[in-house]
Amino acid sequence: MREEYGREAFSELVGRGRVHRRFYTDPAVFAEEQARIFRRVWLWLGHESQLKRPGDFFTARLAGERVIVARHADGAIHAFHNRCTHRGAEVCLAAAGNARSFVCPYHAWTYRTDGSLASVPLEQGYGAEFRGRMAGLRLEPVARVASYRGFLFGSHAAEGDDLETYLGPEVRAAFDNLVERAPEGEVELAGGKTVQRYRGNWKLQLENSIDLLHPRILHRSAIDAADRVDHGGGPPSIEWDIVKSNGLTLREWDGMRIAAMPRGHCWMAGFLTKAIDENPLQARYRKIMVERHGGKLASEILAFNRHNTIVYPNLFVNSRVAQIRVLQPVSVDCTEQHGYIFRLKGAPDEMFEASVRMVNTNNSPSSIVTSDDHEIFERIQRSLAGGRHEWVDLSRGLEEEEAAVGTNELPMRNQHRAWAQYME
Amino acid sequence: MSLERWHRVQQFLFHEARLLDERRLQEWLALYAEDAEYWVPYAWEQKSPKDHVSLFYETVTLLRMRVDRLERELSPLDSPPSRVNHYLSNLTVDEHGTELEARAYLLFAEYRREEQRWFAGRASWRLRPQGESFLIGAKRVDLLNADQDSGHLRFAVPF
Repeated sequence: MREEYGREAFSELVGRGRVHRRFYTDPAVFAEEQARIFRRVWLWLGHESQLKRPGDFFTARLAGERVIVARHADGAIHAFHNRCTHRGAEVCLAAAGNARSFVCPYHAWTYRTDGSLASVPLEQGYGAEFRGRMAGLRLEPVARVASYRGFLFGSHAAEGDDLETYLGPEVRAAFDNLVERAPEGEVELAGGKTVQRYRGNWKLQLENSIDLLHPRILHRSAIDAADRVDHGGGPPSIEWDIVKSNGLTLREWDGMRIAAMPRGHCWMAGFLTKAIDENPLQARYRKIMVERHGGKLASEILAFNRHNTIVYPNLFVNSRVAQIRVLQPVSVDCTEQHGYIFRLKGAPDEMFEASVRMVNTNNSPSSIVTSDDHEIFERIQRSLAGGRHEWVDLSRGLEEEEAAVGTNELPMRNQHRAWAQYME
Repeated sequence: MSLERWHRVQQFLFHEARLLDERRLQEWLALYAEDAEYWVPYAWEQKSPKDHVSLFYETVTLLRMRVDRLERELSPLDSPPSRVNHYLSNLTVDEHGTELEARAYLLFAEYRREEQRWFAGRASWRLRPQGESFLIGAKRVDLLNADQDSGHLRFAVPF
């Protein structure tokens, strides 16, 4: 497969206002994406609140590889591959916990929480050469680990932009705002996670999350159901509000602000209904924020009105509702979407409960909203596999990129331009 | 618990399963009390739906929206409609004051779009006696693989 593509050929899959169908369907393209994009960029690993005490650890996936992220006795955070340097077994099967050391279940090679090798059984069975280099043996470190305001990222590339440069000011603003919305200025990953799997390419979700023409159309059956439903006399629920908020008119969607940034990142303005922003719980929260920060600063923090900030290639940050989602590409036609929630320290407990219910509504496999998106991705994936038409159209608003708003497909083209640069 | 009462609970739960399997979804909804909760936890032995995500955590209003979508067949998700079977076994029934708690093992088969899926789990119901029949006050289904790390393809018809 590889030789079909010259060094320029990958980037030729991205044309002016269009992409070739192999961009989504070719396993050779997927393999190269892993090498040239996912192994080169910064990818989100987790949050420092998962590592409160020395010995705390969690396991994560970094570009498809299993890694352990741990806080060592000296307080430093380390990330290393979950693979014994002896015969290759995973040394840790738990998703998270606290450990003094990681002991391989096969032959008891034992590692400290900074990844260094502490002991092997019957050490004298090895020669002098091995014992000489034993002190330097360790679980293979992830090339780079860095934190931005508590959000932990890893990269398989030893060289490249530092994390802050990679994120850029507009993405950093999304993380800043997520943290600043906590009255105590601190957030905590909590409440488990959702994992939605679909049988389609990872880039379909990346495009969809900034596609403002689709919600009113594709999610029509959910919006209609919300319009018609009998609330049984009570007030509408947060779940209802979430579903209903997709029901803006096409004109309203088209008038929303969007922005495309360097490196393929982008964001879109917020669109949640007034009911979500204007209720007694929000009023209580605003009061706490004003007491803590004064009216001016509190208003500035709360006025930051974005929905998704999309960090290329696989992270969605939603500051307003303290949630993030991560795509884990499994193969060219299979992707997992992991959804996480943050608890805002100092905010009313009911706000966290509302966040939990929002994630259930949008990001559980049972969602009556995103399940339709995933259904469409699968239909695209199947139909792109054959037929005579080789190109997929993304030309909407191509001539109006300078003043792009709403349904302009600029942010998708911006993602694909970044793709072409990485793949060149 | 008399054998007759146990039998009545069993027949009621078979009836609920059949309504789902035959897609008589309005009749299925009518089995639920207005304040009922339908809950499929995400975590094994999950204590609460308030502080942890769930696969389903729905009031009757939300179930009505789900059913509306399935019945009108406007959603691409479930067209053509999936076919499902609910199998119940190992039924026990306990009395809690005026309510009954029924517990059973559940097997769920679903066929859609060239693929058959199976789920296994433990189901429990809070039942309020209503004459010879019952109203469902709460239903909970714990899937054995609820929290599998590779996630789930989407769910359309309730368990």
